[in-house]
Amino acid sequence: MADKQKPDGIVLTEAQKRSRRQRSIAIALALGVLVFLFFAVTMVKGPAVLVRPM
Amino acid sequence: MSVVDQNAIELAPRISEADVADYIALLKPRVMSLVIFTALVGLMIAPVHVHPVLAFTSILCIAVGAGASGALNMWYESDIDALMSRTANRPIPRGRVTRPEALAFGMTLAFFAVMTLGILVNWFAGALLAFTIFFYVVVYTMGLKRWTAQNIVIGGAAGALPPVVAWAAATGSLSIEPVLLFLIIFFWTPPHFWALALFRSDDYARAGIPMLPVVAGPDATRLQILLYTLVLVTVAVAPWPLGYFDAVYGVTSLVLGAGMLTLAINVYRRREGSEALRATRKLFAFSILYLFALFATLGLEVVVHALAPSIW
Repeated sequence: MADKQKPDGIVLTEAQKRSRRQRSIAIALALGVLVFLFFAVTMVKGPAVLVRPM
Repeated sequence: MSVVDQNAIELAPRISEADVADYIALLKPRVMSLVIFTALVGLMIAPVHVHPVLAFTSILCIAVGAGASGALNMWYESDIDALMSRTANRPIPRGRVTRPEALAFGMTLAFFAVMTLGILVNWFAGALLAFTIFFYVVVYTMGLKRWTAQNIVIGGAAGALPPVVAWAAATGSLSIEPVLLFLIIFFWTPPHFWALALFRSDDYARAGIPMLPVVAGPDATRLQILLYTLVLVTVAVAPWPLGYFDAVYGVTSLVLGAGMLTLAINVYRRREGSEALRATRKLFAFSILYLFALFATLGLEVVVHALAPSIW
């Protein structure tokens, strides 16, 4: 039996791993900003946040 | 017989190496910066107090909406982008981002920008932002751009809407002032882009885009530039005598308008060789300064008035 088994599926190169990590961090930051934005506006508007004139 | 299984190659999933910079490039950052600036002025001149958090949210949503439009534009135009030297380095022609990735990115951003503006600020502004994105992507990019030489005249409406959206975000309604800002950008767009098209007409011809210099020739374009500049200068000065913007704006608009008109006349008169090219490039560069300075004046007036009300 071989000491090392060949990995199944696709193996990412270092460049691919690096760019995927960059993209993941950017998505996390964007989601963080969105959450904070909703929190901040809710704090600013108070109960008026529920008033939604068209 | 090949030892390589062609089916396996074709079925192998493509692993993206696109980094964040490629996705930022899809947003057209330079266009986005102009959108942010004009929207900020639209927000500043609104006659209501807007909480800074809501102001930031509005500008962010408008900016992201503009970025989404840029990404969707690049998704649709990747075939012609590859043919033009100005756009060949964009992420899709370079192979950094695929078309489906750009489409998904643009649609996601557009959805979040419109929904966030609607939910957090007001739905009138959200609907206007949705209309702006629709107009730029569907009406201009998919419809007008490859169909008519008037593409940037009508399509310019999309670029003129951000200050209107910002005003709507601040007030929840519309008024004459944002319409005036809209008209200024609307009539600024043809001279600006036709000046660019004059010295990039080979690019546009190669890509088969019916820009005015390609379809009607450079001389007809020069005349149109001059006529639109006359309308632009008039429209930009008019808010002063009509009483919507004050004398500081009026004088600035007159001085800048004289500069713009002089350069447009130069473009009309100088039709051959390097002098013609120089005149066109000067008009293109000055037109950016013109719009920036007009809007900056309006913004600065608001700042000065807020800091030292006695001056005005």
